[in-house]
Parts: sequence; C-alpha cells; structure tokens
Amino acid sequence: MLSLAQLPPGHRARILQVPPEKKRLLALGLRPGAVVEILLKAPLGDPLEVRAEETYLLLRRAEARGILVETLIAAEPHELPPVRLR
Amino acid sequence: MSCPRCDSDNASQKTLSPRLERWALVGGPNTGKSSLINALAGSQLSVGNWAGTTLERLSARLDLEQAQVELVDLPGTYSLLATSPEEALVVRELLQNPPDLVLNVLDAGNLERSLVLTLELMELGLPMVLVVNLLDEAEAKGLKINLEALEEVLGPPVAGTVASRGQVAEVLAKAKEARVPSPKVRYPEALEKAIDRLTPRIPNRALALLALMGEENLPLSQEALKAVEEERAHLEKTGLDPYLLALEARYATAQEVYHRVAHRIGSKPPLTEKLDRLVLHPLLGLPLFLLALFLTFRFTFTLSTPWVDLIGRVQEVLAGWVVALPIPPLARSFLAEGLVAGVGTVLAFAPLLFLLYLALAFLELSGFLARMAFVADRAMQWAGLPGKAFVPLVLGFGCNVPAVYATRTLSHPLDRLRTALAIPFMACGARLPVFTLFAFVFFPQQAPLVVLGLYLLGLVTGLLTALLLGKVLRAERGEGTMELPPYRFPPWRLLLRLAWARTQSFVQGAGGPILIAVLTVWGLLHLPFPGGSPYAFLAQALTPLFHPLGLEDWRLVGALIPGFIAKEVVVGTLGVSLLGAEGLNPLSFLAGVRALLDSLLSALTGTLQGLGSLFLPFSLNLAPEPTPLQVALKEAVSPSGALAYLVFVLLYTPCVATVAALRQVIGGRVALAAVVYQFSVAYMLAFLARQLLP
Repeated sequence: MLSLAQLPPGHRARILQVPPEKKRLLALGLRPGAVVEILLKAPLGDPLEVRAEETYLLLRRAEARGILVETLIAAEPHELPPVRLR
Repeated sequence: MSCPRCDSDNASQKTLSPRLERWALVGGPNTGKSSLINALAGSQLSVGNWAGTTLERLSARLDLEQAQVELVDLPGTYSLLATSPEEALVVRELLQNPPDLVLNVLDAGNLERSLVLTLELMELGLPMVLVVNLLDEAEAKGLKINLEALEEVLGPPVAGTVASRGQVAEVLAKAKEARVPSPKVRYPEALEKAIDRLTPRIPNRALALLALMGEENLPLSQEALKAVEEERAHLEKTGLDPYLLALEARYATAQEVYHRVAHRIGSKPPLTEKLDRLVLHPLLGLPLFLLALFLTFRFTFTLSTPWVDLIGRVQEVLAGWVVALPIPPLARSFLAEGLVAGVGTVLAFAPLLFLLYLALAFLELSGFLARMAFVADRAMQWAGLPGKAFVPLVLGFGCNVPAVYATRTLSHPLDRLRTALAIPFMACGARLPVFTLFAFVFFPQQAPLVVLGLYLLGLVTGLLTALLLGKVLRAERGEGTMELPPYRFPPWRLLLRLAWARTQSFVQGAGGPILIAVLTVWGLLHLPFPGGSPYAFLAQALTPLFHPLGLEDWRLVGALIPGFIAKEVVVGTLGVSLLGAEGLNPLSFLAGVRALLDSLLSALTGTLQGLGSLFLPFSLNLAPEPTPLQVALKEAVSPSGALAYLVFVLLYTPCVATVAALRQVIGGRVALAAVVYQFSVAYMLAFLARQLLP
C-alpha cells in the first residue's frame, strides 16, 4: 500500500482509499476501486497528469499524497511504453 | 408529472405564452454542451448572467413547430452534490425552477463516468432525453456504443450526436418521446429505508438523497430537515457514510449499464495521450507554454489595434462634423467631447474583447487552456491560485478589461475573485505613455529600468493581494484538481458566435457605467463654474491630500481624475492644463467621409500586416521627444514626487472600464471595495516610493 504520489510513472494501481471529505476528487473519478496511472509530471515537477479509468486529470502532489493505492503487477500490460521522467 | 407536455401548461408559463418551453442542458464539463446548443440553434445564441449572480448564462432560442423553446446551458457538473457554487446553481435550477425537459449530455468517449450523473438525474422526476455526444471520439478510441440497447436498459430516449459536426438531428426527434424516467439505482438497504421513511416529507428521491448526503441550502421545511438529521444520525451510528454508499451504488450501476451497451472493437492509445507527451514534455513544455501565451497576447492586442484606431478616427470625424454645426459652443463640446467620446470609449473595447474571447474560447474548447494551467500550476501555487489564473494575469499587461473577463475561465469563484482583484495592478498598455513621459523627463539615464521596475511592482502587488486575500478568506489552499479534456478542434462558428455574444454582453452591461463616467468628467472640465472649472476647483481641493507624496501642483493631481476614464488620458490632460488646450477642428462632410474610408482601408491592411507579424517580437516604443510638455513637467514636480506619481498612476483605481468589468464579473459591491483598496495601496506605496529619493 502506498500513496498515489509514490506510484512510479507507467505503473498501474487501484485506489484503496480517498479522504471522504474530498468530494471533488471522488466526483472527478478518483474513487476507491478505480484504476489509476501517473502519465506525466509537469515541467516544474508538480502537478501530475493522472489517468483514472478514461479520465485525464491534473492532480497536485499534495492531493495525491492523501490517496492510498495498491499497485497492479502487470495484470494488464499498458499499450504505451512507460514515460521516462527525470 | 406523467405527461411531460403538460408541464408547459402550468400557470406561470401560461401568462407568457402557452407554447413556451425551457429545455436545460445538463452534463459534465467538456461534454460539448455549448457545441450542442450551437448546432441546434447557433444563430440565436445569447450570453448573460444568471439572476442574482455573476455567473455566465448561455442560452439560445429554438423555434419548433409545436413550441418555442429556450435552450439553457447549465454549468458543467459531475454530480448534483455541489462542490462549487456553479454546481450549486445546477441543483438550484433543477429543483426550484424545473425545466420542461432535461437534455442530459453524455461524453461517449467517457461513457461510464457520464452515466453516474445520468443515474442521479433520473431520480429528479423530470422529463429527460439522453444525448450521447462525441461519438466520433468514442469511435477513434475503438469503442462501439449501442444506443438502442442504452435506451432499453435505462428508459429515457437516447439520441446519438457529433455536435461539433452539426450531427444533432436525432435530438429533436427524441425530445418528442421524452418522459419522466423511473429511478434505476437500487441503494443499499439502510439507505433505501431512510429514503422510504423520508418520502412523506420529501417525495422527490433526488432531493431526499441530496439531503441525506449532507447537501445544504435545499428547499426543505424545518420539519423535513429535522427528519433528515435523524436519519443521518441513525446511519452514522451504524458507521455508514451516505455519500460513499450512494456513490458506490451509482458507479456499480453505471458500470453494469456500460458493459451492456459498449463494446471495445479495438484498442488504440488515444491521440491526446501522445500529444500530451509533447505539449507537457519536461524540456519542451515550458517554451511551448510561453509561445502559446505570447501568441494569445499578440493575437488579441496586435490584431485589435487597427480596429481600435479606426474607432478613434470615426470619433474624430464625428466630432469634426459636430463642431461645424451651428449650435452653442457648450452644446457642441457636450456632443463632441462628451457623448461621441463616451460612446467611442465603450466601442473601442469591442474589437479587443472580441479577439480575446475568440482566443480564449479556442484555448478552452481545444483543451490547450487546461494544458497551460498544468504547466503554470506550480508557479501559481505560490500565490495560492490555480494554474489557470496565469493567463488572465498575463493578459492584464495588455489591457485589464479583457483580462478581468478572462477570469471567467476559472471554475472556483474565490479563485476568480482573487485573480480579478490582482489584475488591476498589472501595468496595462495605457499606463505606458505616462511611464515613458515621466521616466524620460526625470530619470533619463535609467528610464527603461524605472519602467521595468514599475511593471514588476505591479505584478508583485497583484500576486500579494491574491495571496493575502486567500489567507483572509480561507485557510486551506485550493485543490486545483481539474480535468484535462481531450484535444479537439472547436467548430469555428461556435467560437465566432460565442465571442460575438460575449462582446455584446460587455457593451450592454459595461457601456452605461463607462458612458456616465465620461460624461461626468466632461461636466467637470467644461461646465461653467465661478473662477474656472469644477475640475480646477476639485483638483485644488484634493491637492493637500497629495502633499505627503511630494505632489504640490494641482494640475498634476487633477490629471488623475480624467485618468479614471483611461490612464493614457493623464498625459493629454497634463498637456492641456500645463500648456493650454488645442481647439477641435471643424470638418466638412466630404472630408469626413474621405477620412473614414481611408481609415477603414488602413484598418484592413493593418489587420493583414498584424496576421503576418504575429510571431515577431514586441517593439517597445521608448523614443524620447523633448517636448514643451516635458519642460513644463520638470518645473511642476521634483524627481521624488515624480516617482511617487508614477507609482500612484500604476496602482490607483483602474480605469472605469475595468471597474465596469469587475462589476460584471465579481459584483458591484466587491468592485467598489476593490476601488477603495487599490486607492489605499497606491497611496501607501507612492508615499514609500517618495522616500527612496532625496
């Protein structure tokens, strides 16, 4: 179990827990059970581009830290090669 | 409720017209609602404000055989449970001013999440049609959606559309079959029982659920509220969160429906994902961002200049004709320098705003604005603002008026307010003539440095204003989370129509206040007054207030008054009061017509040249001309006083057009408070600036 901010780019994970008071995150599709992936980080390091199912989101690191996920180990290989970030 | 058509016959509608209907478009952000309105009734598009708010209301008239329909675009929302005032408006409209028909717009490319809102809307008890839009994007993703199956599974009629290409015919056909759907989601037992117990007091299922989830400001009686509180306490005791329970049940149902109607026939990585790798690239992202910003700025200001000039020429010609009229001099002056100048001031903003709205609508609907927000977000976090706020702030350096309207792209009103209050401190183009005049007279060696310093001072003051206001109004920082919509080609007709309707809304909403201000200043300058003009009297009365800033000449202080109309007027007024007025030249009819044709031609060629030079860098015109005005200025004030004057001109009350824009965007009372605040900040910082020099 780790936070979404710790998830390495290119890996998929399933959301376990979102702070229940974060109604906006939940409404945007970041809900327990959804499969997420970090696609990119912004040129200045923050925020992150996150894909939750079919939705692409701008998510700040501070918010990502509050979301708990479990990684999905190569259950479904992604169509795209992992993004190289430095 | 069983017959949707009966709704239009209720008493309140009857007084207007028996066949008048209101259809509301409800759907998530970026589902193409405005494209749909445009495709259904584009030529009738109009823009206004929602009653009692400063939120933009987009609507259009649609004339059908059986009825006259007003199509209303409700703000995009993910759920009826509001997380922002715009979303709260959606709930309020649907519950308290129910439309005759709900057109629920769904994103075919993201159908599962769209269905969550649909399931919620089906509990409202309103006649409903589902419009599955963006079928082209779904197809590009390799998704096939069976619309007949969707209709069968859910109940309400389903129309498939590609609104951006005008493929919307099915909507009107399906609207005739609209009926009140029966709710689809079965919630966990505990929640269903709570809803059942509330039914006698709250018969509407959607309303009961919202109340249970803790939504405030619902149209409920005290008695009903008490019952809701009891049910909530009961659920909490068993450790259940009604919001999460309902959300889970809806997602589960949406998923089930989705899998019955959608089939993947291929799996292509979306183009958007590939484009994002380029646009948001760690190295290329920043230069591309700056290029987009630069182009927006150039497009708005370079292309509008020839048309603003044309309006100025028309104004001159009209004034010239008026001066040639055989009427008393005061009447001539009123018409030429009051009325014509006032209307001209309002209209001169129209080309600027039209182009800005065009650029902004393109950036917003194409998906680029969200990417610009993505890149700027980190930097804006420092001021506690979302990334999107960057674009209006930069536009403020061109002109504050369009920049204030550009804050409408921000979804949270608090962010909008703070950005709008920061914008007037951005040194707009109209302040540059004042800066250069003074800088070259008093600081000839460091003129560019002084001007740059003023720009930076404005920026820092604005950002600090936003930061401090954020601290005062709410402790926590904004979440900033937003959707990055897919890249799209917005239909150009929609862009033009939106820009046109929004420009019209400016002229109607802000035109009056600007005209009144211009006429007031005209009265101050020209009405007869014992021992001079009301202007001189007022300026002399105000001058002691400015002694602490090192300003003792009433003519300098006086020039700040017409500066309220437009800051560049400060220079002209100084010229008149220090050197004496130039008379208006009368113009014969024919000469006027010739001048008009000439300037129309140069506006057209200027636009073409502007298009060609969009990518060229700016040229700052800092050429010093030793004029009589500069000599006269040098005698009127000391260098330290001049610096204080510059700082004051930079920061004090923005021009009347900006105040009028603020009134439309953040409300009249706040705009008034802003004026007082800016005046105080300008006074204090000008006082400090004076101490910098001996």
